[in-house]
Amino acid sequence: MTTGVLIYCFDTEAVKYHPTANFAIAQIKKHLGLPVTVVTDSNTQIHLQGQDNVVLIEPRKNNRRFYKDKSIPWLNLERTNAYEYSPYDVTVLMDSDYFVYTDNILQYVDTAYDFLLHNRVYDATGRNSFLYTSKSLIPIVWATLTIFKKTPSVKKIFDMIKHIQTHYDYFCNLYRIDFQNYRNDYAFAIALNQMDGYSSNFLPSAMTMLPSDTEIIKINEQYLAFKYNEKISYLENQDVHVLNKEIPFNV
Amino acid sequence: MDIKSLREQSDLSFDIATAKQNALEKARSRQIVAHRGHLFRADAETINLISTLKQQHSTFFILDVNQNPCEITDPDDFLNLLITRNQEALNQYHQLYQQLKKR
Repeated sequence: MTTGVLIYCFDTEAVKYHPTANFAIAQIKKHLGLPVTVVTDSNTQIHLQGQDNVVLIEPRKNNRRFYKDKSIPWLNLERTNAYEYSPYDVTVLMDSDYFVYTDNILQYVDTAYDFLLHNRVYDATGRNSFLYTSKSLIPIVWATLTIFKKTPSVKKIFDMIKHIQTHYDYFCNLYRIDFQNYRNDYAFAIALNQMDGYSSNFLPSAMTMLPSDTEIIKINEQYLAFKYNEKISYLENQDVHVLNKEIPFNV
Repeated sequence: MDIKSLREQSDLSFDIATAKQNALEKARSRQIVAHRGHLFRADAETINLISTLKQQHSTFFILDVNQNPCEITDPDDFLNLLITRNQEALNQYHQLYQQLKKR
């Protein structure tokens, strides 16, 4: 049985994501020792380093999001095809801005569960920025880190996610989701709600997050230093999802 | 004590509380272990449960983190795994806690 990591990386005019992906790949290799496949386009591919495999596509570009009070392109629509793009029996589907500093994920892939993701997150700045309880009728799940196996039931979940993406406006209204743009987190939550009656299995730990207004002042393979409210803090030996896109690599 | 000093003390206390919470979350993440296809927390409750049940039975059933039943057929090995992971996580937490106490 093969196990590997699948990440997506598309540079846009607003954000060059490839340095983030290259760092993420290096951390995956160091701490997990797993092969990495990157789903990308030809313009981004030439900048990528360290991956074992590339899936070249032309991503759909009709989605945007607000980032630091600006509307920027958000090429997140291809995640629904992760089941088809992954060459692995057990896939760790991971955002390129999720940085691995431990081997904790190796415990998660060594189970009989066929679909696992976080339903709880933790804001490392101590502000509980991600409590979205009033943002929808359905509890959010976090597609940032999703571990899945290629089974018929997981195929149905991904097929449902594609259906939800196609009819996202309808499902947005049905579940009173307070975000107008397409979000994989809610598409995954709705699919699990529809397919599993929301009795799904989740990753038991809370995913550590750093909000986009948190300045990353130093990052290397050992630790990450961040600044918020004029205070500097460190995360060491702790996996973390970094939402600020201005990350000072090589400083 | 002037208000500026009180504000500084308040800020410091919040920073320490946040750092302590980060360290605790890190320890909790580290306590997750896979065994026989299930996920468990290597916390005091699980360790005590296994330790108690293995005194009465050589095999038994417990619930995993998602409330799914799992048969434990090797309680000694499982208990060793839990204790090792629990102490590894808490040792790291202890080291960070000692640093916080000095602030």
